[in-house]
Amino acid sequence: MPTINLRGAQKNYGVNSANAVSNLDLEIRDGEFMCLLGPSGCGKTTTLRMIAGLENLSGGEIRIGDRVVDSIFDGVFVPPEKREMGLVFQSYALWPHLTIERNTDFGLRLRKLPKAEREARVEKVMQALDIAKYRDRYPSQLSGGQQQRVALARMLAVNPGVLLLDEPLSNLDARLRLEMRAELKRLHKEFKTTIVFVTHDQWEAMTLATTIAVMNEGTLQQMGTPNDIYDRPANRFVAEFVGSPPINILSFDKNGTSDVAKEAEAYLSSRYPSLRGIGSVGIRPEALSYATRKEDVPQGSFSGKMVVTGILPTGGSWILELRSDSHTLFLTTHALPRLELGEKVRFFAPPEALHVFDKDGQRITEADKLLRSAKLN
Amino acid sequence: MAFLSDSAKASPTAGGEASATPSSWQVWRYRLKVASREPTTLIGVLTALLFTYLIVVPIISIVLDAVRVQFGHERRLGKDFGDLTLYYLDRTFTSPVSVDLFWRPLFNTLSVAVGAILLSLLIGTILAWLISRTDMFGRRWFATALIVPYMLPAWTFALAWTTLFKNRTVGGQPGWFEALGWTPPDWVAYGRFPITIILALHYTPFVILLFGSALRRFDSQLEDSARILGAKRYQVAMQIILPLMRPALMSSMILIFAKCLGEFGVPYVLGLPVKFEVLSTSLFRSIASRQTGVAGVVAASIMLIGIITLMIDARLVREARRFVTIGSKGSMNRQSRLGKLRLPATGFAATIFMLSVGLPLLTLFLSTIMKLPAQFTLDNFTLDYWIGQDLHTVALQTGVLLSPDLWAAAKNTLVIVGLASLASGILGLLVGYVVIRTPVRALSVYLRQVTFLPYLVPGIAFAAAYLSLFAVPRGPMPALYGTVTILVLALMADQMPYASRAGISAMTQLGKDPEEAAQIAGAGWFRRMMSIVIPIQKGSLVTGVLLPFISGIKGLSLFVILAVPSTDVLTTYSLRLVDYHYTQAANAVVLIIAAIAYLGTLAAQKLTKTNLAEGLGS
Repeated sequence: MPTINLRGAQKNYGVNSANAVSNLDLEIRDGEFMCLLGPSGCGKTTTLRMIAGLENLSGGEIRIGDRVVDSIFDGVFVPPEKREMGLVFQSYALWPHLTIERNTDFGLRLRKLPKAEREARVEKVMQALDIAKYRDRYPSQLSGGQQQRVALARMLAVNPGVLLLDEPLSNLDARLRLEMRAELKRLHKEFKTTIVFVTHDQWEAMTLATTIAVMNEGTLQQMGTPNDIYDRPANRFVAEFVGSPPINILSFDKNGTSDVAKEAEAYLSSRYPSLRGIGSVGIRPEALSYATRKEDVPQGSFSGKMVVTGILPTGGSWILELRSDSHTLFLTTHALPRLELGEKVRFFAPPEALHVFDKDGQRITEADKLLRSAKLN
Repeated sequence: MAFLSDSAKASPTAGGEASATPSSWQVWRYRLKVASREPTTLIGVLTALLFTYLIVVPIISIVLDAVRVQFGHERRLGKDFGDLTLYYLDRTFTSPVSVDLFWRPLFNTLSVAVGAILLSLLIGTILAWLISRTDMFGRRWFATALIVPYMLPAWTFALAWTTLFKNRTVGGQPGWFEALGWTPPDWVAYGRFPITIILALHYTPFVILLFGSALRRFDSQLEDSARILGAKRYQVAMQIILPLMRPALMSSMILIFAKCLGEFGVPYVLGLPVKFEVLSTSLFRSIASRQTGVAGVVAASIMLIGIITLMIDARLVREARRFVTIGSKGSMNRQSRLGKLRLPATGFAATIFMLSVGLPLLTLFLSTIMKLPAQFTLDNFTLDYWIGQDLHTVALQTGVLLSPDLWAAAKNTLVIVGLASLASGILGLLVGYVVIRTPVRALSVYLRQVTFLPYLVPGIAFAAAYLSLFAVPRGPMPALYGTVTILVLALMADQMPYASRAGISAMTQLGKDPEEAAQIAGAGWFRRMMSIVIPIQKGSLVTGVLLPFISGIKGLSLFVILAVPSTDVLTTYSLRLVDYHYTQAANAVVLIIAAIAYLGTLAAQKLTKTNLAEGLGS
């Protein structure tokens, strides 16, 4: 499948309503496993449906390779049935009146393939997804997980250039979801299809995707590899949306600055006087460490004194809740914390663990170099 | 704006054309392209035109009849045919004959309706409670059995009543009581009293269904909370249950009223002998005596009352929704123990069943196999009225089953009602599809409303409207009066509210996903209709055909105006037999209709696993 390109794509339902998607630029390359990630209502499903052709655009254009498939300027709209894509619906949308085999066979029949080839392909995907034993059943006789496999098989049978998945795992229970994730990753390798996957679950996105596009309120926030998204969030929204427990944010407001934030401000301005216009600093809970004695805090790290107010075991790791007079921090540790509630501790973080954002919440990229180089000193 | 980290594989921001604003003609060209890609919108426009012609135009035509000089009145009014005039309004509402034409029939309609409503509420609420919330014997059986009166044509009961109570005021075979030596007074035999009783019994199922389903949905926890706070049983009933049941009660009252407004058969059979007229019979008389202008005024008045009534109902339904949102999720339905009252309560339900189903049907059946009324000796019984041959009578010399007229009427019924239901079922599904799927919102709203319009118009007024439009040739349309076509068209239009509602709700339930999945798989519009939409909707298509068929078979008011002897259907045929005082034959035909309607309803319920409550179109 050639590259899919969205340029300035826009969608609104009705003239006066707000944009569900605005001015979206997105490039999906062959063989990619891309996740559209964002909170509900951020426009990720709409984006997927625009790619499929189930929604037409209100602005911009969509190209597949060199071919324009949707554009107001050119007056072009290629309907979904001619786009040769696969889409797995959140509800699965299996046809209730057809057996599993006929559901899987539907697209092949439309393509008027010879019977032998059809049977071979149906057999292959049904085996691959382990649903061959249900071939004569109707969708209502299958469990959610099985239905979901049929929905996948139905689309894979026609071997689409790109497979679109709309939160396909959200209706499954936790164990099945884990299995299906592994399954999807395997299928991606086996069928070498481009996959676009919509989810609001960051773990799903992190574990599956080769590229993640984070969306919020109809706009693209950041696009990058899972590590990019996690390690270098482009703005505060991405930083706060990805990660659990969420990133600690110290914001430098004129009138609401906490004591810990003030310490961070002092720390940064004393060591990196060239940095200006900082709006906030973020530190991931697992980037924080703690020490009971001052000597154990490494030189040059950002640190402060706080009181332990909560120790929450999560199985294999612990979340510590630390409080100062006006701030609460969360810290994740993998070693059993030998602490008492109310005990005073020092938290610390190496300078490169600090994410520095400007007053508009955008990442200050120059800060990254400065802070990283500091470590070498 | 997109924020891109340095390693993101994003395309450069598209410059030039993609981010510029498209001109308005580009937008329109694009929209047209999207809308015309599929025939949905085209089908929508065509059906919208069709229903405008079949529903809106006849109604406009009869309203115009009311204010324009009609044929034959040119000289008297000193105006040309078709000029505007207030003469008919004046004649109907203020002239000395207005009392007979409009005001007394209006009063009679209202009084009969109010009486029927009160009586059916009284009986219906008790029965609904017994069936849904108590441990009465045979609840399940009664739940179906007590709905039966609604499945039968209302004037079945009217004929049974005359069979029993007919007195010497009217000629022909006497009623059973008369034959036994007791002459029922006129007020018992004819007019307001029997009409009220019969309509009440006929529409009690409405209350049982609507009130009963509200009771079943009622959460016992609401009751329990009040009890825990110290409320007594009657306090709970008055302050918790009743207020929450009010919407259901009001809704059934209003539906009964709307139905009474258009009821023709019962007042025709029972009111005529004592000149007791309601609006529908007054309209019929105006049409029969070719008072087209006055008929227009009366028909328009009936429509107006109908529209107002159902608008009130729509409002109440909206209010009822407010209650629903408050009600909790876990609907606990606990039964009250009747204790000592268990047997009397069962007796009450059984009595109502006997009065509203058993007795009338038995009476009718016995009357068809007895030579002389109320004489229960063996030699008085005969099957001649059903299958007799060479009976020495002036007309109808064979039993009714051997009469060619019956079979002609049966064939007409099958053809007319069958065609109309088939058409309305298919059109209903199409309308449902367009309403849900078209990107043109205005079209969707218009189609939804125009197909609902006949619901607001009582059948007899609708028939009058058809007569007004199609009695004479107009444009390319020849005069249709006396043809099968006009009956099929009128019946189809009259059934559209049910058909389109069924179609819309079926399409809403189906949702977009299965069709979109087929689209993704590569199926074009036609293919999707054939392989996905219609097969999935098979069940509702069958209901969409069967339900109009049943209600068409027992329908009378539409046919009585539009049918002529050559296009007689079973209902009009039996009415004609009533007019000729062939009591036994008329009763036999009505029994046949009742049997078809009853069995058909049962079949429809079995087939679709729905219950009647949804079919009531509340």
